[in-house]
Amino acid sequence: MAFDSPKAGETLVRVADLKVHFPIHAGLIRRQVGTVRAVDGVSFDVARGETLGLVGESGCGKSTTGRAVLRLVDATAGRIEMAGTDIASLGSEALRRMRPRMQMIFQDPHASLNPRMTVGSIVAEPLSEHGTLRGSARQRRVEELLDAVGLNPSFANRYPHEFSGGQRQRIGIARALALDPDFIVCDEPIAALDVSIQAQVVNLLEELQERLGLTYLFISHDLSMVRHIADRVAVMYLGKIVELADREALYGAPKHPYTQALLSAVPIPNPKVEATRRHIILKGDVPSPANPPSGCRFRTRCPIAEARCAAEEPAWRKLDDGRHVACHFAT
Amino acid sequence: MTPLRRLLVASVACAAMTATAAQAQRGADGQLNIIYWQAPSTMNPFLSGGTKEVEASSMVIEPLASYDNDGNIVPRLAVELPTVENGGVSADLTSITWKLKPGVKWSDGSDFTAEDAVFTWKYCTAPDGGCAQSSYFEGVANMEAVDPLTLKITFAEPKPFPYTALVGAESPIIQKKQFENCMGAKAPECTQQNFNPIGTGPFVVKEFRANDVITLEANPNYREADKPRFQTVLFKGGGDAASAARSVLETGEFDYAWNLQIEPEVLERMEGAGKGKLVSAFATSVERILINFTNPDPALGPDARSVYKDDGSNAHPILNDIRVRKALSLAIDRPLLNDLGYGKTGRPVCNVLPGPDIYASTANDACLVQDIEAAKALLDEAGWAPGSDGVRVKDGRRLSLLYQTSTNSVRQSFQSLIKQWWAEIGVETELRNISASVFFGGDPASPDTFQKFYADVEMYTNNFSGVDPEAYMADWRCDAIPGPATQWQGSNINRYCNPDYDALSKKMASTAALADRAELAKAMNDMLMQDYVLLPLIHRSGTSAHSVTLAGVKMNDWDSELWNIADWHRAK
Amino acid sequence: MARYALRRLLIAIPTLLAISFIIFALLDLAPSDPTANLPLTIPPEVREKIRLSLGLGEPFVVRYFKWLEQFMINEPLNVLEQWTGWTIGDSENRLRVLSWATRSPVTDLIVERLPQTLWVVGMSYVIAVLIAVPIGVISAYRQYSLFDQIGTFISMLGFSIPTFFTGLLLIVIFSVWLGWLPSIYDTTHVVRDWDSFVFQVKQMLMPTMVLALANASQISRFMRASMLDNLNQDYVRTARAKGLRERVVVLVHVLRNSLIPVVTVIALGVPTIFGGAIITEQIFRVNGIGQLLIIGIEGADIPLVQTLTFIFAILIVVFNLIADLIYGMLDPRIRYD
Ligand SMILES: Nc1ncnc2c1ncn2[C@@H]1O[C@H](COP(=O)(O)OP(=O)(O)O)[C@@H](O)[C@H]1O
Ligand code: SF4
Ligand SMILES: [Mg+2]
Repeated sequence: MAFDSPKAGETLVRVADLKVHFPIHAGLIRRQVGTVRAVDGVSFDVARGETLGLVGESGCGKSTTGRAVLRLVDATAGRIEMAGTDIASLGSEALRRMRPRMQMIFQDPHASLNPRMTVGSIVAEPLSEHGTLRGSARQRRVEELLDAVGLNPSFANRYPHEFSGGQRQRIGIARALALDPDFIVCDEPIAALDVSIQAQVVNLLEELQERLGLTYLFISHDLSMVRHIADRVAVMYLGKIVELADREALYGAPKHPYTQALLSAVPIPNPKVEATRRHIILKGDVPSPANPPSGCRFRTRCPIAEARCAAEEPAWRKLDDGRHVACHFAT
Repeated sequence: MTPLRRLLVASVACAAMTATAAQAQRGADGQLNIIYWQAPSTMNPFLSGGTKEVEASSMVIEPLASYDNDGNIVPRLAVELPTVENGGVSADLTSITWKLKPGVKWSDGSDFTAEDAVFTWKYCTAPDGGCAQSSYFEGVANMEAVDPLTLKITFAEPKPFPYTALVGAESPIIQKKQFENCMGAKAPECTQQNFNPIGTGPFVVKEFRANDVITLEANPNYREADKPRFQTVLFKGGGDAASAARSVLETGEFDYAWNLQIEPEVLERMEGAGKGKLVSAFATSVERILINFTNPDPALGPDARSVYKDDGSNAHPILNDIRVRKALSLAIDRPLLNDLGYGKTGRPVCNVLPGPDIYASTANDACLVQDIEAAKALLDEAGWAPGSDGVRVKDGRRLSLLYQTSTNSVRQSFQSLIKQWWAEIGVETELRNISASVFFGGDPASPDTFQKFYADVEMYTNNFSGVDPEAYMADWRCDAIPGPATQWQGSNINRYCNPDYDALSKKMASTAALADRAELAKAMNDMLMQDYVLLPLIHRSGTSAHSVTLAGVKMNDWDSELWNIADWHRAK
Repeated sequence: MARYALRRLLIAIPTLLAISFIIFALLDLAPSDPTANLPLTIPPEVREKIRLSLGLGEPFVVRYFKWLEQFMINEPLNVLEQWTGWTIGDSENRLRVLSWATRSPVTDLIVERLPQTLWVVGMSYVIAVLIAVPIGVISAYRQYSLFDQIGTFISMLGFSIPTFFTGLLLIVIFSVWLGWLPSIYDTTHVVRDWDSFVFQVKQMLMPTMVLALANASQISRFMRASMLDNLNQDYVRTARAKGLRERVVVLVHVLRNSLIPVVTVIALGVPTIFGGAIITEQIFRVNGIGQLLIIGIEGADIPLVQTLTFIFAILIVVFNLIADLIYGMLDPRIRYD
């Protein structure tokens, strides 16, 4: 794909026309009666060392995208290149060997930790599984990791439920870091945390990125948080990316009507500006991903939709400033 | 030949026959597998009284005399049957002297003596013992061991039929030495003794598992050296009649299955498999409909409802009229009932006293033919005119009856058939069925027992043990009517009271000659039948099945079915 | 945990006393007559004497406390004596709970029947668990697959077809038609050598399978549901993200967590093993505890029924506690103090 990331590094992750469809079963014998097009043709690149933000309303397919990129769900179609290897079609053993390079931090720090394992064994398990370290070396590495995320290493023998939400997310991060990954998908890592803790965790993530040269796909529905952390931002609507741009460009001058609507809903700290700002209120509900609208998927709620939008799907176009947009009328 | 002598001759012939058949050695035929779908709960029939316990224990403990398959009394532990003729029964009928067989040993090797017999009497009549067979010793004033082999029983009054105490499987002799410390209230605590009685019979208990299985071995001290033919017996209990039948007739796992009261066509189909044979024997069980002679109207209080009053003030408003009772009987097709419910295991019957043969009347056999028209005519004559809905009415009262019985599929199908026939003659019938444990339970507080008879008619089976009908026929005496005063105890469930009948009953109690007794019993039976006090329906047999490989079974409904188990052997 | 267990046990005592009273009262007040099953040829006066000899003449409260003493004090002392060989007090005259029908101590009857019940019903439970867990796991892992559909269908059958039907069907096929298996269980059979062992297996086969089908249907459904709950959890994705082999993910992470509720369900089901299987025991003549209970009920053997029901009550209370304790041990999130 022809756009450059601002940090101009090599491309680490390249996703092309990714689709993830889930079967819908119904009836007495649970036959398949349809498909949920959770992700329906998305493409993006992530450069080494960069943070790509992925925003959108809940249910638009962000998590599914993140999981598919890591092959935690199987892609229905498309390519996912990780440092040049297409992992979408990789066999399970080869995939397993790729695992240490790509990790995930989950939204719910409680559900993502096996409740029957101690923190120490949760962090140590990947180490033993991939045979990198054993014995006291492994022990030391666990302590090191816990220390790195700001946890007391002596907590290793405790169970996840004994920790607070913020601490648990730190455990999740320590675990993700255990195998020295290059790429981490952060799926709303702070959404479940108290506001007071959120900043600490984000700061920790940034600090680790700095220190370890990590590459992030940062998923969130919180636009301000994404603005803070991301270098570039992709906006998703109903299984598709509608706009992908540099942070400043996107927040400064959103081109897609959906991006505009999203940003207009974000309160601005300056009360003067806030008072005079134009709010775009989206009408109606998000359509079902099992039965998306024809043409442009946003047309049922788009304030400027025209007849063409129903007939023709907008192309994924590159604008002059280098950003990509999928709208007939964006300039 | 007097009937009694005939009994004796028959028994001698019987003994001779078994003697010649006995060629093989004791225990030569290995194991015998018996299944009783109701499992015995004890081996002491004095503590239970249930048929299953009586039959199981009959393999181990024996009475002085038994009833054979024709209802004849045959000596067992006695040398012969005492009679007035042979001097064994005193001329005034107040005592009987039994001579015991010499050389009989208990299974532990000790001698069987008259002391054991005396002890058994004391055991069963001890206060607080709750002996289930104590009625066998009724009227016994004393028992004494004149010498080790002579037992003298003295009665309080003349006893024309003295063969009750210690006769039949329900009244066997237990060993004094074993049960000495188990008298009265201590009886139930002697579990070891009750489960493993020492006996004189062909088998000895090896292991008794209550309500499950009994294993027995040939008694090494059994008086006939070449018997029993089987070395061991496995006596299994539990399940239901159909699967017990299957295990003999279809799978052949068992040699003998008891009491197979199941649908006749199912039984016949099973028998078709060829692995076993059904055997039936008829004694005195009669399925009957009882007529209530008193008024069961719920509006009456507990002191009047179904309570007999001397002055006739509480007579049944409908059924007091013999024409109605007779019409009810005429409307019933007994042969059809039998085909549907019993098949080979029963036969339609017109007497409440169907046997032994000398007591069976033929005066009432007309009842076998259903006659709806005659029934209708009788009701017309009695003033019951058909109403608009077909139900007859008289003086503003509908001819409507409540018909109750115990819960049991055959009984319920009988109920609905009879209801139809009665509807044809204009009688409306309300049906009711009550769980057997309540219906036959003696709880005086329950309104649903057969004794309370809070219904117009009710149906069940009754019979009598042994071969002498005196006590049974005395059931319909006026003084046996149950009521609140007697805690509803009393055998005259019909509440029938007829001085002529009482007179016959009294006369029988003092008549000794068998032929005269038979005439009296028949007369009483005919009186009950011709007065339509109860409507007999089916003469029911005991029906069992045995494997084709088992020989020597002589099905017997007068005594234990296992009465001659010492003679059973493998068919060659 | 020990303190928690102790506290629960202490609470259980008044609960059980109350239960014992309710059981006793209910059974006592229900209309029933231990002489109802006797032949009608036994006259009413004799029946009355039998009832008196069973102690039915005494007032209800007296009988309750007598039974309580016999059950709570005399029987345990007796068991103790039998195990240790000691003689404690006047053991000759100590009254035990006697069954009315057999006139023998109820506990002896129960002890006599436990082996067959534990063998058949217990074995069927073990087999049910062994079958149900893998089926549940595979069904959940391959949800909606052919395997899952067939499993669902069979467990539906196991749920809905009563054991008396499956039992009879098996008897007709394997005993009547094929003649391979005995239709009647021999409780006196002793395993001595290979042949007698084979016979024991043969006679256990049908009753065990009938019960195992019924139990496995239930447990496999539980297992499947629990697995499905866990399979969609993030910690499973975590485990996959760690690069664990799929087998490890499913068998170590998912299965262990899914087993927690299933294990408690299994523990709660254990008292039913001791309760026997009334219908199956009847059909195959296994004559265990279940059959003892039904005979007791049919014959109005009230002391037997009271004692059995009360023992079931104790077992249920105890296994509830055990299930809770197991839960606490398996799930570190649960702490009892
Ligand atoms: N395993 C699954 N099976 C079926 N549908 C799924 C599954 N996972 C997600 N979906 C559906 O896919 C759509 C996208 O979900 P998700 O990726 O979780 O959205 P987001 O993370 O943006 O909130 C939703 O409609 C969701 O219901
Ligand atoms: S293509 Fe049409 S509907 Fe879609 S965003 Fe643009 S204007 Fe709206
Ligand atoms: Mg999500």
